[in-house]
Amino acid sequence: MKNGSLFFLGLFAALGLAWVGIVVSSNAQIGSLAGYYDDTDSTSYPARPSGLAAQGALVYKDLGCASCHTQQVRRPGFGSDQDRGWGERQSVARDYIYQTSVQLGESRIGQDLTNLAGRKPSAPDQDDLLHMLYQGQGAMPSYQFLFETHKIQGEASSEALKLTGKQKPQSGFEIIPTTRAKELVAYLLSLNTTYDYPEAHPVAGAKGEGEK
Amino acid sequence: MTHASTSPSADSADQTPAESTGRYPLLYLLGSSVLWLVVSGVFALITSIQLHTPSFLAECPVLSYGRVRAMAETSFIYGWIGNVGLGLALWILARLSGEKLRGANWVFVGALFWNLAVTVALGGLALGDLTSISMYQLPSYVQPLLFCSYGGIAVAGLLSWTGRRREMMFASQWYAIAALFLFPWLLSIAYVMLECSPVRGVLQAVVGGWYAQGLWTLWIAPLALTSGYYVVPRMSGKVIPAYDSAALGFWTLLVVGGWTGARHLIGGPIPAWISSVAIVMTVTLVFHYIVVFLNLRMALKGGSLSLGFVAIGLICYVSGGFVDALTSMRAYAAITQFTVYEDAQKLLALYGGASMMFFGALYFALPRLKGAAWSSGALIKGQLILSAVGILVTVLSLAAAGLVQGNALADAKVNFSDIAVQMRPYLLVASAGQFIILTSSLLLAVNFLKTVITCCCKSDSSKEGALAS
Repeated sequence: MKNGSLFFLGLFAALGLAWVGIVVSSNAQIGSLAGYYDDTDSTSYPARPSGLAAQGALVYKDLGCASCHTQQVRRPGFGSDQDRGWGERQSVARDYIYQTSVQLGESRIGQDLTNLAGRKPSAPDQDDLLHMLYQGQGAMPSYQFLFETHKIQGEASSEALKLTGKQKPQSGFEIIPTTRAKELVAYLLSLNTTYDYPEAHPVAGAKGEGEK
Repeated sequence: MTHASTSPSADSADQTPAESTGRYPLLYLLGSSVLWLVVSGVFALITSIQLHTPSFLAECPVLSYGRVRAMAETSFIYGWIGNVGLGLALWILARLSGEKLRGANWVFVGALFWNLAVTVALGGLALGDLTSISMYQLPSYVQPLLFCSYGGIAVAGLLSWTGRRREMMFASQWYAIAALFLFPWLLSIAYVMLECSPVRGVLQAVVGGWYAQGLWTLWIAPLALTSGYYVVPRMSGKVIPAYDSAALGFWTLLVVGGWTGARHLIGGPIPAWISSVAIVMTVTLVFHYIVVFLNLRMALKGGSLSLGFVAIGLICYVSGGFVDALTSMRAYAAITQFTVYEDAQKLLALYGGASMMFFGALYFALPRLKGAAWSSGALIKGQLILSAVGILVTVLSLAAAGLVQGNALADAKVNFSDIAVQMRPYLLVASAGQFIILTSSLLLAVNFLKTVITCCCKSDSSKEGALAS
């Protein structure tokens, strides 16, 4: 290799090819994906997140929740994603189009949260999630810094956690979720992929067709 | 073909024009890199402990698992690898050019701001400015600073290259120039597509995966091979075998490497062709690893401590490539995906492969830059043994934990508390491994500090070769 400019051109082409091949072409394919309008209930899916949930998405991101939780139910044939009740169908690109910062995640130290609020038979509610955040569970630490201990003045707050055993605050005190905790829970409760898009069952082959 | 740099010239006391101007900026780069290595080791140990003992430091938001993990990664990649890789690449380019290092003041200013940017990035991560994209945990506000300061550092390398005396280029130079030239493109593309005007939906993950893989195949691996290809012939005193294929190995890495990122997204909500292409390319990349092994295999014969580091680096680098190819296959990936097995692979490549080559070159370079021998040969030996043991213990235990985790995850009846219990013994061993790695880094830091401080008054450079090579 002697020719400097040819060498440079080669370097540039190597990077450019991979960029065009992977990034630009996938952007051309799904970069302008729009919501799916369902005539029967005159609604477009996916739903846009509420303001509080959008705030909560920022809390989810800044605490690095994605380092233990994924938000993607894989295709049939990949692991036990659907058997674990994480979702009744695989995740598709359209599920994410309104998320400003997509948190697909890379590790499953904890559960997948794609369809947390739409799980059947029973999805966790606000109380469950707040308690789990406060107490931790299994490999998940407790996030007590998302809560404040207040002295009860007058009537006890309706937001106070109902704790028992060791974690019960001393009498006269109560534990209240901070705004961040409430935002995070609102976000978690907005995670819902129950709507069935036409493209959500394409590649399962014979087995998938038999199921649906 | 390799004769440019393989003459076993008297290594001891060998001072070239490269050291005359480059000494202080390069020492600054290398010194900061060692500091970041220790810092990242502390963070890595904390995350490792938190994996099996979640309550560890959990009351402190700054040290919650997600954030410390991001800090460990950023200080390792941009702090340690950035500084050491660039410092060594500049030194090697200047030496191979046969000229002084030009633009040394720019290097110093660039290095100052680069380290400032990494420091600010860590502060930002501690306060929660995460991106949640692996290898790209850089708050948006530090990226322009990183970009500009990188320019200051890299320009000296380009000047060395354009002003080289011999027209013929040696493999070290290809890899160094590729790394210097491609990183700003990677970073700016990621900055535009993820921060300025983010692409839509899952494409963010595609861009993130492309960047992360590009960072490895187009920046970190070339920087490491710059050191490997320079140090091995210099220290073994032999011509690189099968050098004719080196160019093919180089272009395979560059052309194919950038396509392999999406193998981590298999089964996910992206078009399936993206990960299929990535799998094919990952297997193709095996060719590159074979070529590198054939070229650098002289390192395995040993002969000096520095060469020992490079030998371990070579083994880890090549085996990492083979493991990557194997686990990119869907049948394996369905098990290892989303588990700590991927952490083991990362550690094998980034610490075992790249960093060990940097250590070897660092032990070779410092006596020449400083004009004096390493202060303690025992500490070098200690680091070699501890880091080798640390890599072995941590990689194997994380891989075992990952397999346990993957198999348990695949069985819908096993709940997450049980998975944590099953993984715990392996994760405890992994923490011990991280502790050993941290200790080995501390040995390097102590030795580096002693060498730089105590040797200021001595100018006896005659015994350097005895210890370092």
